[in-house]
Amino acid sequence: MARSVWKGPFVDSYVLKKAEAAKESGRNDVIKIWSRRSTILPQFVGLTFGVYNGRKHIPVSITEDMIGQKFGEYSPTRTYYGHAADKKAKRK
Amino acid sequence: MSDDPIIVGSISGAFGVHGDVRLKSFCADPEALADYTPLTRSDGKTITTIVVKGQTKGALIARIDGITTKEEADALRGVDLLADRTSLPSLPDDEFYHTDLMGLLAVDTGGAELGRIKAVQSNGADDLLEIVAPGLKDSVLVPFTRAIVPTVDLAAGRVVIDPPGGLFADAD
Repeated sequence: MARSVWKGPFVDSYVLKKAEAAKESGRNDVIKIWSRRSTILPQFVGLTFGVYNGRKHIPVSITEDMIGQKFGEYSPTRTYYGHAADKKAKRK
Repeated sequence: MSDDPIIVGSISGAFGVHGDVRLKSFCADPEALADYTPLTRSDGKTITTIVVKGQTKGALIARIDGITTKEEADALRGVDLLADRTSLPSLPDDEFYHTDLMGLLAVDTGGAELGRIKAVQSNGADDLLEIVAPGLKDSVLVPFTRAIVPTVDLAAGRVVIDPPGGLFADAD
């Protein structure tokens, strides 16, 4: 069941405070957060968050496409090392 | 860039009684395995053709040249299939094979060594370079973006990284 619209998106307050502080400082530091449940808001675009996956902080550069998703969706909790074979990486 | 052969699949046994084999493909598109022939088997022999006939649970069903009986197919269980690096098609700018990136030296913009690339992972949005840094307890994940990784020099075997603050300090 979807969250009621009148409530607005959920974001842990400390995430908002850290993001605001990072924007004001103008530095491109990784913002370490543990809140995987927080929603990605438009004001986070351009920032890099380190989202905790239970073991370490996975860097996530926020883009417009991610707005409305949760931080946890971009911080996988399991690591699989398969054969590289012909797999490709794209530099964005 | 290394010219070592790349493991692209392995044979997991026979399929049926007519000499077909079950192939486990490690390729991004499993059926692309057949495009990289001739392949070298880990026991040293060469496979010139692979005809993919279908799929079964987690594997491809294929016919390999020279294998005509179930016994021959069963004898190949566990054999790896290796392709020449040169058989992989060339890629556009800003696309790299994982196999080319792995093992490259990572340096910062000042030329100081940061570590070596152990693997390439993904967080669902970006690819991440996993860097094993000397002196750090855990590996460091670096987003593979133009801003953070401005230079990838495969010929020189190194990448230049301009890490955001806190990325490398985080892992110790």
